[in-house]
Amino acid sequence: MSLTIVRLYHDLLGTYGDQGNAEILIHRAKARNLDVELVEVTPGMAVPRSGDIYLLGGGEDGPQSAALEMLISDGGLNYAAAGGATVLAICAGFQIIGASLPDSHGQITSGLGLVDAHTIYDSSPRSVGELVIQPSRGELPVLTGFENHQGLTRLGQDMPPLGIVRSGVGNGFDRQEGIWHGNVFGSYMHGPVLARNPELADAVLRSAVGPMPEFKDPFAEVFAIERRNTLT
Amino acid sequence: MTGSLRLSTACIAGALAGRLSIGLGRGRGETLSGRVILALDPKAISKLGAGRDIILVSGTNGKTTSTKNLTSILRDFAGEGVSTSESGANMPAGIAALLAQKPRNRFAVIECDEMYLPKIYRLLSPKVVVLLNLSRDQLHRTGEVRKVSRLWHETFTKDDVTIVIDRDDPFLEYSVANAGHVIRTTFGGRRHPDAATCPSCAAILDWSTGDYLCPCGLGSKLPDVRADKRLNGPQRNTVLVIEAARLMGAEILADEAEDLINRSPDRIYDFSSAGQTISTHLAKNPESWRQALGEVTSDQVILSVNARGIDGRDTSWLWDIDYSKLLGKKVVCTGERRLDIAYRLSVQGIDVSVASSFAEAAETLANEPIQAIVSYTAFQDLLAADLGINKGNSK
Repeated sequence: MSLTIVRLYHDLLGTYGDQGNAEILIHRAKARNLDVELVEVTPGMAVPRSGDIYLLGGGEDGPQSAALEMLISDGGLNYAAAGGATVLAICAGFQIIGASLPDSHGQITSGLGLVDAHTIYDSSPRSVGELVIQPSRGELPVLTGFENHQGLTRLGQDMPPLGIVRSGVGNGFDRQEGIWHGNVFGSYMHGPVLARNPELADAVLRSAVGPMPEFKDPFAEVFAIERRNTLT
Repeated sequence: MTGSLRLSTACIAGALAGRLSIGLGRGRGETLSGRVILALDPKAISKLGAGRDIILVSGTNGKTTSTKNLTSILRDFAGEGVSTSESGANMPAGIAALLAQKPRNRFAVIECDEMYLPKIYRLLSPKVVVLLNLSRDQLHRTGEVRKVSRLWHETFTKDDVTIVIDRDDPFLEYSVANAGHVIRTTFGGRRHPDAATCPSCAAILDWSTGDYLCPCGLGSKLPDVRADKRLNGPQRNTVLVIEAARLMGAEILADEAEDLINRSPDRIYDFSSAGQTISTHLAKNPESWRQALGEVTSDQVILSVNARGIDGRDTSWLWDIDYSKLLGKKVVCTGERRLDIAYRLSVQGIDVSVASSFAEAAETLANEPIQAIVSYTAFQDLLAADLGINKGNSK
């Protein structure tokens, strides 16, 4: 079985190391004998419409606006998501997939609208530090990551968060963190988040390819447990 | 109290505090000395700098070595007294202390933390500012690169100072866009890993020629100095430092300059552990790690990663580095965040193990050459242990 992973504009949305999420997905998919292809989308390239998993990372305000503009005019990511493709969007990427967010001048503008989430530019100090959440779905353990963001994101009423904040800020409303709606995952957690949470990496993979055999990666598990034990 | 009496009282008290701090075994005493001076005379920095020729050095990588290098070049070539911080202090307290020592020295070469540069610049009215480079570093503290660049852009608006920059770096070009006098050195142009978009307007930069250009007008400018494309990071910094020394009157001939560039100080130190001498690179952000990895030639490597404040508390950037240079080598990871780096390497297919300390890492390796790359606080711990100072156990 083959799997196409599309990494979107990591030159623009790669400030916080989230590009590692692609490498972890590839590593864990290959361990299940999946035939994996990584497509790097750079500015000027068309976004493929038939990818299985689309990845967006965190970036600075200006590049975030540039990436959003290109994704709106291309339309490929919206097309793929409407067809059920998996999306994992971190930080600035999470804000981009929502319904509205501030542009680089602070004016509220429309996002891609893959999920009903609204980001505002918060004036309080930037949210920086370790973030620990209790996932909303039973099959995931406690998740950890590092957050570093100014914007806060309010989810629409029917939108399930990825989890509830145990420590840290997260979305900044109702102690919610991130989103997991259908095949769309959003989060403020860097680390990269899939490095620190192999169970989440598998949840993302399963949403694209269905059930998979178990895979025990000793380093991944020891690392995830060490972070959880240190922070809880 | 008059202004000068206040200052001299502050300096005497500061010197006493500094000596007390050294006596108690708490480092070189500069920070405490400076804090006392600034508490007793908040205007001490500008008073102590008045009438002297000040050079500020800032940038992400190589501030401390470049400051020391410029100091020694000025001592050798300009033949005048030069004040500088012996310990690499680069915030206001340390700067006050270094200016208070030998206040009659004509020159002061001052390393400046990126975030404090605007404040120190306004207090001291320097003759020359050297901006070495800007790339991602300590995101939790200094914020993103373009924020530092914007801060500098708003700072350098006067024309009674000369700013020396690497003109291939778009963040530096934006930093000096309003400045009057700039010496631009080119190293042949090279794509900046953090500058896909314009530091000024965030449009996509056109890097197709090796130089960069933005529709808003920001782009590579005509250089004043052309240097060799093959120079490494420390050597590029030496080229900028030589230009700064020349601006201060040092007469450095071409062959002397070449010799200085060849002998560029770097951040490699030899530590002894488990009967071995280990050539150790200090590296603290993606760019300095890339440079250090480029220098790895031995088959055994120790990597030590911490995530205390100055190291950057978020270790995600470890994933932005290509470690393929380490494929086929034996790598041992240590430091408080050894699992972060070990997992990252294992995903890239590198043979990796972990050890609870630098000494234990060295013990697990064979009696053949070992090189190490260590993060900032891990390096400080090694240095302290080497000097026989017990700084407490790292986890």
